[in-house]
Amino acid sequence: MSRGVWLPVVGAFALFVLAWKVVVVVSGLPPFILPAPETVAQRFVEAWLQGLIWPHFVTTMVEIVLGFAVGVTLALLVGYGLARSALFERLASPYLVAAQAVPVLVLAPLLVLWFGPGLLSKVVICGLIVFFPVAIATMVGFRSVDARLIELGRSLRATPRQILRTLEIPAALPNIFGGLRVGVTLAVVGAIVGEWAGASSGLAVLINLARGSLFDIPLMFATLLTVALVGIALYLVVVAAEQRLVGAR
Amino acid sequence: MSPTAHRPIHVALVGLVIAVLLAGCGTDAASAPPSNPAGASVAPGPSAEPSVTPTKLVVGLGYIPSVQFAQFYLAQQNGYYADAGLDVEFQNKSDPDLITLVGQGAIDLGIGDGTSVIPAVSNGIPVEYIATIYGKFPNLVFAKASSGIKTAADLKGKKIGTPGRYGSGWIMLQALLASANLTTDDIEIVEYPDFSQRAAVEQGAVDAATGFANNEPIQLELGGTKAVVLTIDDITPLPGPGLIAGTATLDTKHDAIAAFVAATLQAMEEIKTDPSVGLEAAFKAVPELATQRDAQAAVLNATIASWTGTVQAAQRLGAIDNDGWTKSIAYLGTLGLVKNPVTVDQLVRGDLLPGGD
Repeated sequence: MSRGVWLPVVGAFALFVLAWKVVVVVSGLPPFILPAPETVAQRFVEAWLQGLIWPHFVTTMVEIVLGFAVGVTLALLVGYGLARSALFERLASPYLVAAQAVPVLVLAPLLVLWFGPGLLSKVVICGLIVFFPVAIATMVGFRSVDARLIELGRSLRATPRQILRTLEIPAALPNIFGGLRVGVTLAVVGAIVGEWAGASSGLAVLINLARGSLFDIPLMFATLLTVALVGIALYLVVVAAEQRLVGAR
Repeated sequence: MSPTAHRPIHVALVGLVIAVLLAGCGTDAASAPPSNPAGASVAPGPSAEPSVTPTKLVVGLGYIPSVQFAQFYLAQQNGYYADAGLDVEFQNKSDPDLITLVGQGAIDLGIGDGTSVIPAVSNGIPVEYIATIYGKFPNLVFAKASSGIKTAADLKGKKIGTPGRYGSGWIMLQALLASANLTTDDIEIVEYPDFSQRAAVEQGAVDAATGFANNEPIQLELGGTKAVVLTIDDITPLPGPGLIAGTATLDTKHDAIAAFVAATLQAMEEIKTDPSVGLEAAFKAVPELATQRDAQAAVLNATIASWTGTVQAAQRLGAIDNDGWTKSIAYLGTLGLVKNPVTVDQLVRGDLLPGGD
């Protein structure tokens, strides 16, 4: 990427850090309430070098990746069904909306009870939270395909699979990627919420350890920073995939 | 400028707003305690004349409503706090940030144990331990009596359940194992982050587990299974949960807090003499508990038994075991939990106890 794109990003980040530092200095807040940015940065580097964050990072990443994969797979199938079958939409929509209306924060302890405090409950929670936006985006994407294009394909004796692969999917992809952008950040939220409800490893566990057991507030901030960076990195991966698949069209 | 070029600036502005709001909240909480700092107008002791305006104290109990807080309920219901010129508000909920909030001054008093207070103070959180509630360290290892486990040495090679490798339970387990020249490498740890280790012991999924003196072993026995417990009081005297207050709050509300301690200890003495008054106070405060009268009575009896350790038996309820604190600092240091050096004088003060110096 060119300097013109990165400079404002770096400048905005520098401004944010500067504002943070000003708040710390002016307010005189003690470090256990709001540590200075350089303290957090130092703890971030230390914790990574000490290997303190790494095992928790791996746990959370596995949960996110598996949960996202499961949620997206189901959402693509259901979203396509919603777009192509009015009966299916009438039957499934109330349940989908109801499932979305119940906060995952409330469901998480129940899911941990049902599926145990291990990986499975986190994958289910991630999958659930990812499912709705991707399913709706998929439905909207497939419905937006120009019906005349499909008619044209049929008139050229294209098989349903050929129509799906060459006409419907490419036309629906921009919408689907819109859902994936939302879904991937929600997958991070799902993993953290799941770990909060009961886990022995993961970035949320480290946050709880840092604040309630070690009283290491800079470590808590460093872990929060890691969570934020994970979200940004995964979002950028989806954007890159979108640019490759949609932008190249 | 493209839309994407605008985004970072928006992010920075949002961050700035959040930072300013956070600073505003923090400043308010740090500089203006939530309650009326009129402690100087209240004489210590439950028999003191109440001032015109009672001094408000917010007390975080750090756990859901339970019979184990019977002394606080009794003192409130019998008017001991009101007689001392106090308006006490209890926060009866699980709160992992309780020590930090007490240090910040957002809560006047809370309950914390040595294994939490030592690392907290070591990390710059200004709190002090002012009265012992649990003279015996309540964390322990429990097992079925039929397991054959009788001493710490018997744990070698066994499967031990624990909520996680953190906190007072984990510290206790390491101290217990060390007493038998064992480490956590000599046992098989099974983690139960959902705190279901009692069921695991009951079902035989693990040989033993970490728990609390007034919880899991009691529940196990109420279910008809005889339990055996391993405690660390005679091995490494870790200070049990007690009352803590923020250093700044202690300056502004010293006398009010001393009066609160005196009133609470009076209620503890009464419950120790006659547990039924504590039980009834708990039922009055939390009516739902009355549906399990026998179970709650068993929990309360175990709680009362935990109030009196060696030092409290020799002196009085609430007395602080300074020697135990010294040993705890040293022990937690070996576990890497004392980031910056701390002394007992920084952690503990006895002048808020009745007749304290």
